[in-house]
Amino acid sequence: MSAYNELIKNFERIRAYMREFYVFGFKSREDYDKKSARSYDDERRRMESFFGEHMSFLRTPEGKTVFISIDSRTSRHNPFYNAWKAKSFTDGDITLHFIIFDILHSEEIKLTLSEIMDCINEKYLSEFENPQMFDESTVRKKLKEYCALGIINAEKQGRKVFYLRAQSPDVSGLCEVLDFYSEVAPCGVIGSFLLDKCRREGESFAFKHHYMTGAIDSGVIAALFEAMRGECAVTAINHSRKKREPEEIRIVPLRIFISAQNGRQHLLAYVPGQDRIKSFRIDYLSEVKPAGSTPRFRELREHLDEMQKNMWGVNTGTGKLSKKKLEHVEFTVRAEPGEEHIVRRLMREKRVGEVEKTGEFTYRFSADVLDSQELTPWIRSFVCRITEIKFSNRAVENRFKSDLEKMYRIYGIEKGAEK
Amino acid sequence: MIFSELYSAYYNTVAEIISRLLEGKASEKELAAIVSEKAFGESALTILPALKSGRWQLLRRDMTPVIEHTPTMPLTLLQKRWLKAVSLDPRIKLFGAEFPPLEGIEPLFYPDDYRVYDKYADGDDYEDEAYIGRFRFLLAAIREKTPVKINVTNKNGKNVYAQCIPVRLEYSEKDDKFRLITSGCRFLPVVNLAKIKSCAKYNGERQIRASYVVPRYETITLEITNERNALERVMLHFAHFEKRAERLDSKHYSVTVKYEHGDETEMLVRVLSFGPMVKVVAPERFRELIKERLLRQMACGLE
Repeated sequence: MSAYNELIKNFERIRAYMREFYVFGFKSREDYDKKSARSYDDERRRMESFFGEHMSFLRTPEGKTVFISIDSRTSRHNPFYNAWKAKSFTDGDITLHFIIFDILHSEEIKLTLSEIMDCINEKYLSEFENPQMFDESTVRKKLKEYCALGIINAEKQGRKVFYLRAQSPDVSGLCEVLDFYSEVAPCGVIGSFLLDKCRREGESFAFKHHYMTGAIDSGVIAALFEAMRGECAVTAINHSRKKREPEEIRIVPLRIFISAQNGRQHLLAYVPGQDRIKSFRIDYLSEVKPAGSTPRFRELREHLDEMQKNMWGVNTGTGKLSKKKLEHVEFTVRAEPGEEHIVRRLMREKRVGEVEKTGEFTYRFSADVLDSQELTPWIRSFVCRITEIKFSNRAVENRFKSDLEKMYRIYGIEKGAEK
Repeated sequence: MIFSELYSAYYNTVAEIISRLLEGKASEKELAAIVSEKAFGESALTILPALKSGRWQLLRRDMTPVIEHTPTMPLTLLQKRWLKAVSLDPRIKLFGAEFPPLEGIEPLFYPDDYRVYDKYADGDDYEDEAYIGRFRFLLAAIREKTPVKINVTNKNGKNVYAQCIPVRLEYSEKDDKFRLITSGCRFLPVVNLAKIKSCAKYNGERQIRASYVVPRYETITLEITNERNALERVMLHFAHFEKRAERLDSKHYSVTVKYEHGDETEMLVRVLSFGPMVKVVAPERFRELIKERLLRQMACGLE
């Protein structure tokens, strides 16, 4: 049994734990025990290391629950980025890393593998009583890895290959840009890596309505962007709550949909087997791998552009690509004098559809959408002034009205109480 | 690949330790402070012992580095691609920043590769030159802690002048707006940047004392009935607040959320959007606000 290490080899496990601790936070140790109690203890200990003061616990009748609680408005930088900065490595990795970049300390230095080997052994490791042994294949592998990452260049001159440090742009003048975009741009964690080079903690920005959870899905999102840039299909493991077991899917990623209001991120992708464009929760996806380029990427994305004109959120309705049916939805609200903000709300919050004035104090929103169910949370936010509502999908309308009746009952409001 | 030791707190910490030692001798306490500042809670148990014992062969016994130059690492391709992607964002004009040359670098993503689908439509105008000018002026004032004089249109449409110390620019993705958080001006602790008509350096005689208006917080306790995946939806929706949750039984959960008093109406609307899956348990005052809205809805005669 290996000893506990603060660093992580595999991000997937801690990704799942972080989500549980942050989003839910009511589970006790026993709830996690199904797989391994030790695994729970190790991951909890790591999170205490990464999140510090943001970790809390609560004693409940079910036992002690540990959770992550963060007011994102007062937190200058996303604490979830810490987990991305905790990749484990070997003693050889770190030693070799600093020595290689010390040997290639300026862009003018070009050396062959054997020259680098000599330098490592004679100049650096000879200082130690029990020097680490690096064979040529280990160093070659490391240099090859660094070439792929773009930090070392390999130049062939005749039969010889010379290695040199890659040119690097200066980002020291971009601290405020990085400070802002590391929090708001997709894969902002990469901005946080760059910010670490700035040697100055920015304090100029704060963020409201800031969903930090997406940070833990940055690896998946980066892989999906990569596929989009290469116009590729991908395979991925989908841990959908609708399926008992995770399943492998093959899809063509088309666009990432990010919510600024509900903390969820979706991938809109074409599913060849079903001839449909569907949404997938990004936090349910893992192991995204390229699966060949597709000539249909642009055509499919144009199709999605068309569909977006009738999408409220991320749902694309039922039916195949060529047989999409629209559902009509409309509702009327009353806005008395002095309540002009309600009209402004309708105008700024509607994502599709129209708003028209239908009476002295009434305004009607109407739209044709692929899934009218998606509008119900927004319509409910106007409760206290809805005078009319119509859905072409009668099941959605009936549910909306019965939900309203339930709300009256929950708060003990009886019929006639309004008079 | 995002998950790489090259970006790790440990590598950054070791680079900082070597840099400090190259500048001159640093005490063990100073080195421990670097670990505590740059790495994690338990990193002290690993980093210094590994360097001192020669497990990581970078320091001699006398704690002088075998490394001769201040450690630096070029930007990775991934970092350059992300930077290129950011340089294409419409909000970048606000900063007037000079990006380093990134010719031939494919952006990690283009603006068209993602969509924030539910942000409000009346966001700030990032093309407006006057707005850009005010943004840059205030950002510089925040950096330099310079007092400023601002002219604002208040909610009654009147011109108001205020002297303050700009503290921070707060961005909301949902509103797609920046707000200026101020200090030393009690009647204008927060102001929408788009409402600022003009701003200038304050050269007046009055000394503005930094006094930050501490927000008043409230808590609300909700009971969630886990139908239609309500539990996950509610918990994600309120994830950005300080909160704590408890399971009441197999179908019901309690969550207590802390929010700023000034956001109460927004909170009310957010709770209502969940319909009967979420019930306000406390405080009674908030319950009454919900009940009052429901009574008014009942009076609307919706059939």
